[in-house]
Amino acid sequence: MTSTPHQEQSASAVVSLRRVSRTYGEGTGRVAALDEVSVDIDRGGFTAIMGPSGSGKSTLMNVAAGLDDVTSGEVMLAGRPLTHLDDDARTRLRREEVGFVFQAFNLVPTLSARENILLPFELAGRQVGAEQQRWIDHLVLTLGLGERIGHRPSELSGGQQQRVAIARALASRPSVIFADEPTGNLDSRSSREVLTLLRTAAREYGQTIAMVSHDPVAASYADRILVLADGRLVGDHGPLSPQQISDLLIGFEVGAA
Amino acid sequence: MRRNLVLGSLRELGTVGLVAGLCGAYAATLMTTSSILETVSRASGGSVGLLLGIVAGVFVLIALYVGAIVIVGAVDTVVAGRLRHIALLRLLGARGRELRSSVMRGTAAVGALGALAGVALGTSLTHVVRVVLVARGTLPEADYLWATWQLGGALVAIVASATVAGWLGSRGVLRVSPAAALAGTAAHTPPPRSASVWRAVIAGTGIVGGLLVLALGAVLGESNPAAGFLLAFVGAAGSGTGFLVGARFVIPGVVGALSRVLGNDPASVVARRNALLDPLRTTRSTMGLVIGVALVTTFTSGMSALRDSVASWDVDAAQRAQADQVYAVTSTVLVCIIVVSSVIAAVGFVSTMSLSVIQRHREIGLLRSLGFTRRQVRTMITKESVALSASAVAFGAVLGLVYGSAGAQALVGAPTEGLVWGMPFGALLGIAAAGVVLVLVASQGPARRAVAVAPVEALRIDT
Repeated sequence: MTSTPHQEQSASAVVSLRRVSRTYGEGTGRVAALDEVSVDIDRGGFTAIMGPSGSGKSTLMNVAAGLDDVTSGEVMLAGRPLTHLDDDARTRLRREEVGFVFQAFNLVPTLSARENILLPFELAGRQVGAEQQRWIDHLVLTLGLGERIGHRPSELSGGQQQRVAIARALASRPSVIFADEPTGNLDSRSSREVLTLLRTAAREYGQTIAMVSHDPVAASYADRILVLADGRLVGDHGPLSPQQISDLLIGFEVGAA
Repeated sequence: MRRNLVLGSLRELGTVGLVAGLCGAYAATLMTTSSILETVSRASGGSVGLLLGIVAGVFVLIALYVGAIVIVGAVDTVVAGRLRHIALLRLLGARGRELRSSVMRGTAAVGALGALAGVALGTSLTHVVRVVLVARGTLPEADYLWATWQLGGALVAIVASATVAGWLGSRGVLRVSPAAALAGTAAHTPPPRSASVWRAVIAGTGIVGGLLVLALGAVLGESNPAAGFLLAFVGAAGSGTGFLVGARFVIPGVVGALSRVLGNDPASVVARRNALLDPLRTTRSTMGLVIGVALVTTFTSGMSALRDSVASWDVDAAQRAQADQVYAVTSTVLVCIIVVSSVIAAVGFVSTMSLSVIQRHREIGLLRSLGFTRRQVRTMITKESVALSASAVAFGAVLGLVYGSAGAQALVGAPTEGLVWGMPFGALLGIAAAGVVLVLVASQGPARRAVAVAPVEALRIDT
């Protein structure tokens, strides 16, 4: 559960960052979104990555998922060094090992809910076997998508779209799911449903999940809370209540001011 | 020039300027050439003057019509890409009508600039060619006119078409609700159902009525060529407009049927769905090509019919020689016409494809983050282009065969035995091949743009 910086990737880590920096811009406009961050995300855990706007939490997710390049440092994803792979290899690694749930615009608008869920399999050229089909059917049923499975994203509510995205992320049992403010666009009831789902996926199915959020309530569902401020990792906690997380964040905001 | 409220910079209307310029250059080249040929004909005592005038006038009308259609599509696409921006302006208190006229003024200004440049370029180039031809002895020495009054008319007509096209293309502005700016996603609202019914009625009337008038023109051609040809043109324009107005009912079906052959891998499926997702976008991006191919086929089919007819006439050697010379000159002009309409078609296609790739930045970003490789994204865009272009080529070629043959029948049906029928198989194959090659080349730009989209684009909230 703990992350001791500057050690080799432990056997239980799915994602490891070693002294990762990411800067944008040149000269005086140079901004360090990540500043020498080292962290491990362990298998089977539900980790929340928190911090105020501009703290670098989205950048952390982007480099960890191979969506963005690092300026310096090493990223290991599912035992492969991301920083040494070219774009194609990284893309393949992403579609085999990573699932995504974004805040909005999660689904390919031209594909039905079912086709969106099956997209990672088709991209990887994998046949959906009998066991996987049962798993997908189970997910669709549990997520209450049965009747809407043939619909296009535009015909689904925000909560339903988010659930389809979660089903897609879970369907191929990736090494890790990255969720970026997955409840940012949802009402409180849908938010609760989505967060409960993510927690269940981690606890019951052993699915590794890393969720970026600035919402203390969302983070309270996680069993590990990482806090970033100004591109640095400033906190690494076990499960906390929303009130405790709130106080923690306010402390950093006040401290920064 | 004052900043345009909706468009920001007028660079977004580059397509409009280019199309207006092409139309201007085209009209100027045709009119100047026609004026030169008239002078040549008068000097040698011939009488092709009137016929040439009619034909040049018809061609310029066609060019204006094509240009206007492409401009409507271009403006429509630009507006569709700026829905959020327009919604924000509406939220801040701008009235829809003001914004629409701002788009129209921009289109008119860019159209005027383009047309002026095009007319100047077309006139100069034609005179350069004329001077060279006179020097080489191909054309006789004579008092050639530098410019005719018709050029001014053409200029006014192009600006007028650009203005009207800007007005028609900016309809989308009125449908944007201010709340769309707050919702975060400004979806393209489909026009109300009643408009579709009216559209279907107008399209049906245009197609059926136009084809009847076209047939009437072909029949009338047996006795009165000038009236018959004019009638055939009216009929072709009427049914052509009908086809274009109703294109959104026809083209998506054609594209859907043809795109089945693309394959079933994810890139092909998404390409096919995208080609069909928005019937309006499908229609907009293929309209220019349909027209281009229809025009090329019309002229090729018409010319082939004309040549066959002339060959069948009972005329003496001198007349045959003169006819051959006219045919040779006209063929040269035709090559230019073919090149120009292809270029207009390509411009329209590339601009709508590029803009639709820009509008789909987030979707492409999402596909990339889910595991589409760059190659798959490129394949997707190329296949979408091919699905659209192949359908446009097929549809346009059928239209062109009908129009070309009917026009030729109206023009020379009288002195020719039986029906004049142009079926140039070789040329058709050439057109099909050129169309596909053109689009493969033309889709490279949008595909490159799409490949350059970073996966993180999907994560940005305000793009």
